[in-house]
Amino acid sequence: MRAELSIWFFAGVQFLAFGLIIFVTGVWELSHPLVNPPVLNRLHPAVWWGAFMTLAGLAYTIKFWPKRS
Amino acid sequence: MLLTLARHLIPHSAALGLLQTAAASAGQKTQLASLTGVDILVIAVYFAIVIYIGFYLRGAANTSEEFFMAGREMTAWIAGLSFVSANLGSLELMGWAGSAYQYGILAAHWYWIGAIPAMLFLGIVMMPFYYISRVNSVPGYLSLRYGEGARFVSAISFAFMTVLMSGINMYSMALVMKVVLGWNLNFSIWVSSITVAIYVALGGLRSAIFNEVLQFLLIWLGALLVPILGLIEVGGWTNLKADILKRLGSSEYVHMWSGLGHFTTNPMGVHWTGIVFGLGFVISFGYWTTDFLVVQRVLSADSIRSARMAPILGAAFKMAVPFIVILPGLLAISVLPFKLFPESQTVGTALHSYNEVLPLLLVRYLGPGLLGLGVTALIAGFMSGMAGNVSAFSTVWTYDLYGAFINKKATDQHYVAMGRWSTLVGVLISVGTAYLVQHAASIMDYVQQLFSFFIAPLFGVVILGMLWRRPTKAGGFWGLLCGTITAISLWLWVKEDPHALRYVALSPDAKDMAENLYRALWTWIVTVVVTVIVSLFTKAKPVKELEGLVYGVVPLPDEHDDHWYQKPILWACIVGAGFVVLNIIFW
Repeated sequence: MRAELSIWFFAGVQFLAFGLIIFVTGVWELSHPLVNPPVLNRLHPAVWWGAFMTLAGLAYTIKFWPKRS
Repeated sequence: MLLTLARHLIPHSAALGLLQTAAASAGQKTQLASLTGVDILVIAVYFAIVIYIGFYLRGAANTSEEFFMAGREMTAWIAGLSFVSANLGSLELMGWAGSAYQYGILAAHWYWIGAIPAMLFLGIVMMPFYYISRVNSVPGYLSLRYGEGARFVSAISFAFMTVLMSGINMYSMALVMKVVLGWNLNFSIWVSSITVAIYVALGGLRSAIFNEVLQFLLIWLGALLVPILGLIEVGGWTNLKADILKRLGSSEYVHMWSGLGHFTTNPMGVHWTGIVFGLGFVISFGYWTTDFLVVQRVLSADSIRSARMAPILGAAFKMAVPFIVILPGLLAISVLPFKLFPESQTVGTALHSYNEVLPLLLVRYLGPGLLGLGVTALIAGFMSGMAGNVSAFSTVWTYDLYGAFINKKATDQHYVAMGRWSTLVGVLISVGTAYLVQHAASIMDYVQQLFSFFIAPLFGVVILGMLWRRPTKAGGFWGLLCGTITAISLWLWVKEDPHALRYVALSPDAKDMAENLYRALWTWIVTVVVTVIVSLFTKAKPVKELEGLVYGVVPLPDEHDDHWYQKPILWACIVGAGFVVLNIIFW
């Protein structure tokens, strides 16, 4: 039996889930600055890295969404 | 996964050093960081996806071909990513980042000349023989080419070493988690091993491969921010080089070849002949073309073309790995406000060792959420390595030991059940080994050495048998035996008398790293010479029995490439050109 879900679908879901968590955390930090921020946190890596992962994850999830047939 | 080139062949490797440092300092240091709820959520999501994949693929692992060979349905991309991922362990990441801090960019040789030519050679020259002979393992190939004796020796040593090394890695990972995050040792060992056991036992090789691909992507996601932010902080590569020159007073930390003219003109104490012939030829080719742990991933390909493309694609990805491993080590020289020390000097102190480079940089640059992603990348690396070990162990045990010598006539269902049970047993032995090394850490060094004794001789025998019709069963046996004895003898010689290194490595200025490179080279030469001589005096196999096993006996099947750009040789040339260009840029 062949697996119906593509591995790239799983990759997309994984990217999407992590991206959303990190992006939301990064946005939250904009209004609630960290007490001990890491180096270069002023660049807000959580926001743009999270956004990149979310978009990449979304693209892969949609492209490899399991076919109904 | 730590069990890589370093694991096999470099006794004082960064990987081992990492383990020793962690073991020695686990009790003394305060943890480097604490995870927030968001970080825990990221890790939890990862575990949920991994276990779901195991249950989802359970129905796709009903026959032995499906369970052990993933149904031979993997595309070149999936097999190629899995091929690299099975090798790319978290401890290797951390260990080689530490080596880069210690030795500079020379450490990248283990990713470039120590991997790329061998991977391309596997794809272009060797893979067709592994694939069209329809063997299920490297010991299986030895069985067809040299007989059951070679298969038995190869299978038993591989199976034994694989589960032992898996346990050593498990313990190493748990120790690192304790040092970095303060996690309980038992918790780390059992949670990670049970998870791997579930998804490999349920879904077999297909599940291991699916997760390895996801883990490879995750490693990049989690680790890539470190070099990006690091380069921003130091002001780019040019500024980094200038700063390293200012701090260390030597430009050899950022040059790969210019200091290799003599043992004394580079931080590693090696010579270019050792790097090219010892590492680039024997060690690298031995590991990447005959270690079943990585070769199994390529055997799962859906066609001979995919099987040839997989190592080539893997080589392209492997070539990029120094960006997330070696570059952080170099960045640490510049950005960390304190010096790192050899592991021997950090025991019982608050000092940090070379090998804590990557965790230190993760904590330096990554805040809540991203730190969880970084830690998840380390866990993912460990789990992909362990899954690689247990799935390869399960296959070799079932096909090459149980099925070949104990129960030859069982049903296919019986072998699948044996595969599932041996996966669980392999995990349990690994857990047992993890607790064993907790109380006797010195056995780690010996186990790693033991593995290194087999790699160069095995490569010598396999490559001769694949490219030349003449090697015989007796030639293979005596070549393997004499090569292994040579490796052990040279190792013992230097261990008993460190001054012997000047003879093994051909220079009184050689350092530890050079010994491994030259020992592998001498071992391979002895293996080849003995195999050739004995074969010439014994009766060769009839040509008909060598069909599909030896170069030139029968034409290889046409791969039917529709377009010129689909040819594996073209992509091998492109990757090879990239390899040459990178070496010239960082000369």
